Amino acid sequence: MLTGYGAILFYFILVVAFAIFALGLSHFVGKRTSSREKLMPYECGVDPVGTARVKFSVKFYLIAMLFIVFDIESVFLYAFATVFKELGMLGLIEIGIFIAVLVVGLAYAWGKGALEWE
Amino acid sequence: MDIAGIPILTFLVFFPLVGILFLLFMPSGNGKLIKWAANIITALELVFSLFLLSGFNRTVDGMQFVERASWIKSLDIQYLVGIDGISLLLILLATLLTFLATLSSWSAVKDRLKEYYIFMLLLEVGMIGVFVSLDFILFYVFWELMLVPMYFLIGIWGGERKLYAAIKFFLYTLFGSVMMLVAILVIYSHYGTFDLMKIMAQGNLLPMAIQSWVFLAFFLGFAIKVPMFPFHTWLPDAHVEAPTAGSVLLAGILLKMGTYGFVRFSLPLFPDACKKYMPYVIILALISIVYGALVSLMQKDMKKLIAYSSVSHMGFVMLGIFAFTPTALKGAILQMINHGISTGALFLIVGIVYERRHTRLIAEFGGLSSRMPIYAAVFLIITMSSIGLPGLNGFIGEFMILMGTFAVNPVWAMIAALGIILGAGYMLWLYQRVMFGKLENPANEKLSDLNLRELATFIPLIILAFWIGIMPKPFLDVLDKPVEKIVKIINPTYYDKPPLEIKKDGTPVHGGNAGSHETPAEAHTGEVK
Amino acid sequence: MITAILPEIALTVAALLILMVDIWLKKKVIIGYLALVGIAATLVLVLQSLAVEGYSFSQMIVNDNFGFFFQVLFLVAAFITVLLSMHYFRDNTQILGEYYSLLLFAVLGMIFMVKATDLVMVFIGIETLSLSVYILSGCLREDRRSGEAALKYILLGAFSTAFLLFGIALIFGVTGTTNLNAVAAAIAGKNILLDPMLLLAMVMLLVGIGFKISLVPFHMWTPDVYEGAPTPVTAFMSVGVKAAALAVFLRVFLMALPLLNPTWRHLLVGISVLTMTVGNIIAISQDNIKRMLAYSSIAHAGYLLIGMIAGGETGISSMLYYLVVYTFMNLGAFAVVIAFGNKGEDNLAISDYAGLGSRFPALAFVMTLFMLSLAGIPPLSGFMGKFYIFSAAVKEGYIGLAVIGVINSLISVYYYLRVTVMMYMKKPEREIIVAPVQPGLLLTLVITAFLTLQIGLFPSFYLELARASLF
Repeated sequence: MLTGYGAILFYFILVVAFAIFALGLSHFVGKRTSSREKLMPYECGVDPVGTARVKFSVKFYLIAMLFIVFDIESVFLYAFATVFKELGMLGLIEIGIFIAVLVVGLAYAWGKGALEWE
Repeated sequence: MDIAGIPILTFLVFFPLVGILFLLFMPSGNGKLIKWAANIITALELVFSLFLLSGFNRTVDGMQFVERASWIKSLDIQYLVGIDGISLLLILLATLLTFLATLSSWSAVKDRLKEYYIFMLLLEVGMIGVFVSLDFILFYVFWELMLVPMYFLIGIWGGERKLYAAIKFFLYTLFGSVMMLVAILVIYSHYGTFDLMKIMAQGNLLPMAIQSWVFLAFFLGFAIKVPMFPFHTWLPDAHVEAPTAGSVLLAGILLKMGTYGFVRFSLPLFPDACKKYMPYVIILALISIVYGALVSLMQKDMKKLIAYSSVSHMGFVMLGIFAFTPTALKGAILQMINHGISTGALFLIVGIVYERRHTRLIAEFGGLSSRMPIYAAVFLIITMSSIGLPGLNGFIGEFMILMGTFAVNPVWAMIAALGIILGAGYMLWLYQRVMFGKLENPANEKLSDLNLRELATFIPLIILAFWIGIMPKPFLDVLDKPVEKIVKIINPTYYDKPPLEIKKDGTPVHGGNAGSHETPAEAHTGEVK
Repeated sequence: MITAILPEIALTVAALLILMVDIWLKKKVIIGYLALVGIAATLVLVLQSLAVEGYSFSQMIVNDNFGFFFQVLFLVAAFITVLLSMHYFRDNTQILGEYYSLLLFAVLGMIFMVKATDLVMVFIGIETLSLSVYILSGCLREDRRSGEAALKYILLGAFSTAFLLFGIALIFGVTGTTNLNAVAAAIAGKNILLDPMLLLAMVMLLVGIGFKISLVPFHMWTPDVYEGAPTPVTAFMSVGVKAAALAVFLRVFLMALPLLNPTWRHLLVGISVLTMTVGNIIAISQDNIKRMLAYSSIAHAGYLLIGMIAGGETGISSMLYYLVVYTFMNLGAFAVVIAFGNKGEDNLAISDYAGLGSRFPALAFVMTLFMLSLAGIPPLSGFMGKFYIFSAAVKEGYIGLAVIGVINSLISVYYYLRVTVMMYMKKPEREIIVAPVQPGLLLTLVITAFLTLQIGLFPSFYLELARASLF
């Protein structure tokens, strides 16, 4: 019987095989017609306007970055919370320092205007 | 050993540094002040070096004026200095030539005077430091230290191809030096010390395999400096492009350091390797002599001619060193001094006309003796000195070398004698083309003869040329003990051979006087003095 | 426990303080002085930390002479970098807060790297340092080269960090621990010297750390990053990051993998020869002085490796001594580049240095000092450093390596002297504008020039210090 990693390998092969099967089936069995209309990019049924490249606002990136940082902070807080009892006072102080450092970061981001949308 | 309580050697080495500090604080605009200060400093250095003579004891075996201080304890590097007869002569030559070179630069250097004289003084520190150092690393530091000021002297105040010449000089010489450094480290790992006196006192030599490599590494470093064929190609460029004073010091002192290195380090420390490679070194020396002379014959530029003549003369010195007899060795060391005097003077002579006409091409001159009689006289004396006319210094050195070499291998001496003949050839031809004949070039009509200052730069050299030529005994006496010490190491059987005695009826008989080390010929010349 | 990391705490507080102050402060110059104060305070605490010798934080950090030596070196280098930055950024004060706090965080990372005795701690230190320096190298936002430098550095750095991490994971897999001492004990105990996984781990670690030291063939980032980054950051990278990476290299390979010595010694011989030679030969063809100094720093890493190959007390102490020498002469050279750089990235071509010997004699003189010292001409400190390393090599029997080293020194003389040729022996071709030198920069030049001379002429103190700083 397959044990441990062998099972994962088997599962992996199964997944790949299924993907190949599904795509391959549609490729070989399905009908294929191409017309000019079918090959145009889809834009809610009307003719496409403008280029496909849209200027992406960098503010999204900034927000995403800040989110990642504080999300990971909260992940650590969860981890701390599970062993809160064992770590005692010293642990509380340590996590307080951790949060303080991140508060400095938040204050910096706030003061520099990274939280403004416009 | 101190003189009047001052450690004289350290004083001599570092006094030019004091001079540099003095010059640094002078106003850059006042050229006259700077020139006077520089000349006074070098003159003082010369005077101070003469004090060495008063305390020097020529009967003592070993180093004198030894000063020892701990410099870098953790690496066993000491500040150890001392001199013997060989270094004494070279130090005196160095201080004299530096003073004369400084004096000759009075009107030759127009811009950036302060830096110029500072580099000259720095060069002097390096030169004297090399001759007094008895610790390998201290020697190496001074050896390399010399490269920097000479590089700048050539590169800033030199001729048209100064940049090429300067960097070629630097890299070529440095290449030999760094090989030497590795060899020094190997010596250290074997003996456990950098102290030359201690290593020589120990007496035990490196095993032959290591000795060969170390000898070759040192050979590379010194042979490039001498320069020996085929490592001489940096010399013509460096000499030609350097300013006059730079050429004087380069030819007068820096070349001697290569041969000094052989005498001080290679011969006493690697005798077996020396004996093994002696035939090859002699061959290279002979090639240097003849090739240098032949190429000199063909030169159109005066300075290049003299540069190649240096190759030839230094080949003579190398021949004398590697003949391993006391006569030849003494002759070689004396010839080092002679070459410094005569070639230094030759470069000064070229400098005179270059300052006036700004060309060194022989074809540009001709018939100068009618306009510059004093100059002609001086030029003639120096030419004769370079050729080796009896009565002047060159003869003594060359004769002793030839004599010593003849005893070892007559063929070598004959080939070397060819070099003397060629030397007479190119020098006399040079003199004839420049000084004799008709004055055809109109630019030479208005040439002024030597002024007092210029004459003053030649007088000490001329005096020395005659002195050594007529009475070389004082100079040779200081070399007795050191040469004996070296020959005892390199050629021990020489002193075991009893000297020839000539019986009343003219037949030679080997006597039993094993203690005396004077060859009959030497005793003969000794009587003449 | 806290007393063991007081210097780090001080540094962190200083860095955070700078971030805070930057939000409200209008006069940005003060931030520079704050950084100086922070570094000085940390230095004082480091000097006192000798009293708290030993391991702490579950054997992850150690306070020993080795760490002390490097911490002092880093803090002095950082101090000088701040002085240089204050001159460089005088007109460009937008990003000063971030810049100085990142600089302090980089030093923090370096201190952690050097004190670490656990591979995880090493990784944390390296990452703290790396991320800070990635951003620092790209902080000139208008300059395209700066952005290119940062991007190249991040990509290649991340890639090499992956190698490092993989190596750490493999070591953990083989020995079951990441503590350096425990790893050594485990290797000895389990007798797994020829385990291919262990050898692979060693090579991975070599790659990861070798990237940071700019060893060949992991050096490709160095010229571009050094050229693009602002010059004070380049100065800091060339001395601080290299020294820290070497310290980590020594720690990891000498504490954790001493038994693999015969194997990695051979590897290092090849890498050292390659590094020296490639660095020196490519430097000859450079036109930009920062690129030339970048290749020269690659070559110097090669010389330093010789010390490690020689090993033993002389070998390692020669490396430490050479790092001190190298720090000051390199910082000095970059200080001169900053002085001629007109508060920015001007006048960086070597041909721009033409004729500076007559216009700025003092600056040209100190530049000559630094160039000659880097080339290894006595009696300057560069010579003494190289001499010490080569003598260690010869002593241990690596004569061929010493010969290659001196020949490389010789090759390097050519491009170092080229700068002096330009300064003294050529006429200026175009009008060069140079901003007046501020006191901070002047102080830096004086200190580095003086030390370049002094460490070479009277090296005993530093040699003894290096010898006492081994572990």
